[in-house]
Amino acid sequence: MVKNPYQPINAHIVDVIDESSTIKSFVVKPDEPIPFKTGQFVELTLPGEGEAPFTPSSSPNQSDQMEITIMKAGRVTSLLHDCKKGQPVGIRGPYGNGYPVDTFTGKEVYIVGGGVGLAPIRSLLLTLIDRIKDFKRVVCRFGARTPEDFIYKDTLFGQWQKIGGLEIKLTVDKSNGQWDGNVGVVTTILKSDDVDIQNAVAVVCGPPIMMKFASMDLVEKGFKSEDIYLSMEKNMSCGIGKCGHCMLGKYYVCKDGPVFTLNQIKEYPDIWD
Amino acid sequence: METVFLSRLKPLFDVIAGQRELYIPHHEEGHFSFARYNPQLHQEIAFNELRLCQPVKQFLFPLREIAAVFPDPVESPVVKPFAVYGLKDCDLRSIQVLDKVFAEEEFCDPSYLKRREQMLIISSDCYNPAESCFCTMMDGDVFPQQGYDLNISKIKDGYIIQAGSDKGLMLLKENESLFADVPHAAILERDDNRAQARRQSEEILTDYQFDVPVNQIVNNGCESELFDNEAKGCVECQACTRICPTCHCFYLYDEKQDDYYQKMKIWDSCVRLDYATVAGGENPRKLLTNRTLHRLMHKFVFFLDRYGIQMCVGCGRCIDACAGESNIRDVLKKLYDEPKTENNQKLKNGKKSIPTD
Ligand SMILES: Cc1cc2nc3c(=O)[nH]c(=O)nc-3n(C[C@H](O)[C@H](O)[C@H](O)COP(=O)(O)OP(=O)(O)OC[C@H]3O[C@@H](n4cnc5c(N)ncnc54)[C@H](O)[C@@H]3O)c2cc1C
Ligand code: SF4
Ligand code: FES
Repeated sequence: MVKNPYQPINAHIVDVIDESSTIKSFVVKPDEPIPFKTGQFVELTLPGEGEAPFTPSSSPNQSDQMEITIMKAGRVTSLLHDCKKGQPVGIRGPYGNGYPVDTFTGKEVYIVGGGVGLAPIRSLLLTLIDRIKDFKRVVCRFGARTPEDFIYKDTLFGQWQKIGGLEIKLTVDKSNGQWDGNVGVVTTILKSDDVDIQNAVAVVCGPPIMMKFASMDLVEKGFKSEDIYLSMEKNMSCGIGKCGHCMLGKYYVCKDGPVFTLNQIKEYPDIWD
Repeated sequence: METVFLSRLKPLFDVIAGQRELYIPHHEEGHFSFARYNPQLHQEIAFNELRLCQPVKQFLFPLREIAAVFPDPVESPVVKPFAVYGLKDCDLRSIQVLDKVFAEEEFCDPSYLKRREQMLIISSDCYNPAESCFCTMMDGDVFPQQGYDLNISKIKDGYIIQAGSDKGLMLLKENESLFADVPHAAILERDDNRAQARRQSEEILTDYQFDVPVNQIVNNGCESELFDNEAKGCVECQACTRICPTCHCFYLYDEKQDDYYQKMKIWDSCVRLDYATVAGGENPRKLLTNRTLHRLMHKFVFFLDRYGIQMCVGCGRCIDACAGESNIRDVLKKLYDEPKTENNQKLKNGKKSIPTD
C-alpha cells in the first residue's frame, strides 16, 4: 500500500527548555525513530490546531528523540509555547535536502547565524563536531539582539568554546552592560576574518534581512555564490512538493531546499521576502 | 487499438452503469456539466461538442477531503469504480498534469491514486471549439491523442468507439455483441469532422500565431508593465484557479473531532493575498501584480521546466470564468507583440506599484 505522506507519526513532548524570552526548545519523542539528515525539516502538528515546519536542532545521530527549537511567531508557535511535558504531538517528515556535509570535507566551514536561525545550525554544528578533524576549521559568527537573546547559552558560552578547530565569535545588537564582546549586527564581525576563500564554504541561517546582508558581504569577501548555502524560509503546507505554497521561482523550497546555494536562487526577485 | 461502431450509446452505457457510477454531460443553461447517469431514467445521452464547463479534477482531487486521521490512522474510504464520459483532449492532458504531481513523484497522494485507479475515462472528439479555446497552441488537439480508455466520435448515424487502453479494450471485447464493424465511410466522416473542428480552431486563433514557444514568450515578458494592467483588471475572485483543470494548490488544516483529530486537505489559490505570507507578515507576493505573474510563470514556465509537459492545456475555462477583465490568451499575445525593449527592472526588484491591501 502507498504510504500516506499526510499521516503524522505520533509523538510526545518529553522536555521543554527555555532558551530566551521568545524561544523554547522542545524535546520530542516519536513512537518510531525518525532518521533525518542535518538541515532537513519536519512538519510538527499540534493536534487539532495546526502544523508548522521546523528544522530539528539536535544531532541526526540521535534518532530516538529530536529537539525542535521554536520561536513564538504566530498562532501555532504560540500554542506550542504553552505546551508542557507529556503533550502529544505529530511529526511528518523529514523533508527537504539538508546540508551537503560530505562535500565540506577538507574545507573551511564558515557559518553565519542569527536568532532562531541557530536551530538548524546547531544540528549542523553537532554533526561537524563529531568529525571536526575532517574539516580545515569551522568558524562560527553568530549574532543576537541582546546577550539574553542567544539560545543554547550553555554550550555556546561553555563547551563549544573549548573545542579545537571550532572558532566561535559572537556579537549583539545591543549590550546589557556586562557584555565584553562585540556590539553590532553580525555582518560587522565578518569583514576582519581571514578566510581561505578558494577552499571554503559558507552557511547562512537567520532572519531574512540578516541572510541578505550576510550573503552580500560574503560575496564581497570573495565567496563564490555556489559556495554559499542558505536555508530558505517560505510559507509551507504539504512539505512534499505538491501544494505549491513554498514556490521560489521554479523551485519547491520544501523539496529542492530548504538549503540552496546563493547561485541557484539569486536571479529571483523575491528571495528575501 | 480496436475500433467499433455503435448506433446508440444507451446499450453500452447501461452496461457500464451496471458496473460503476457513470457521469455524463448534462446540458443546462447553455453549457454542459456532469450528471450521474441512471439507466432507468431514459436520460438523453448528450454529445457535448465542446468541453464541459467543470474541470475533471473534481473527480480526482476533490475540493475538500480528509488527508489523515490520528492518533489512530484509519484506512482512507474505499473508492468505488466510476466512469466519466465527455472528456476532451484538453481534459485528458489535464489529468496527465495532475498525475505528474500526485501520482509520479517520490511522495504519492494515496486518495488521488485510488480514484485514478478506479476511474474509467471515456473521452470524445471536440467538434465545436469555443471562442476562448487555444488547445492547439498548448500541444493539444481537437480530438484525444492518448490517456483515454474509450474515445467516442459522433457521426451522423452513430458513434465510432475506439479503445485506448487495456481496460477499454476489455470492455469492448466483453460486449462484442453490441457492436458492428466500422464502415469505411464512417472513418472518412469522422476524419472530416475532425478536420472541420481543426479549421474552426485555427480560425479562432488567427490572431494568435506565434513563432516563439509560449514558455519563452512568458519568460521573456516576465518584467513587462503588462502585469500591472492585468492586476488592475483582476478582482481576486480566484475563479480562474478553481475552474482550471490543472491548478492543484491546496493547504492542510487540522480539526478536532469527538475523540480523534483529522488533517484536512482543501483547494487553495495562489491569487489569494496571504497565500505565501510567513510569520511576521512578510509576503513575497504582496502585490497582485506579482501574484498574477506567478500564476502565469507557474503555468507556462516552471511546470514545463520541471515536468516536461505544458501545464496550461488551453481549455479557455479561466477566460470564460473571469469576473474581471483577464484573458490568459490575450496576455500571451500582448507579451508576444510587445516591442522587445530593454525592459524596466521594476518587477525584478520587487517594486511593482499596485498596492492591493
Ligand atoms: C524549512 C523551514 C524550517 C523552519 N525551521 C524553524 C525552526 O527551526 N524554528 C522556528 O522557530 N521556526 C522555523 N521555521 C519558521 C516556522 O515554520 C514559522 O515560524 C511557523 O510556521 C509560524 O507558524 P504560526 O502558526 O505560529 O504563524 P502564523 O503567522 O500564525 O501562521 C500562519 C500560516 O502561515 C504559515 N507560516 C507562517 N510563517 C511561516 C514561515 N516562516 N514559514 C513557513 N510557513 C509559515 C503557517 O504554516 C500557517 O499556515 C521554519 C520554516 C521553514 C519553512
Ligand atoms: S490556465 Fe486557463 S486555459 Fe489554461 S488550463 Fe487552466 S483554465 Fe484552461
Ligand atoms: S510546502 Fe507544499 S509544495 Fe512545498
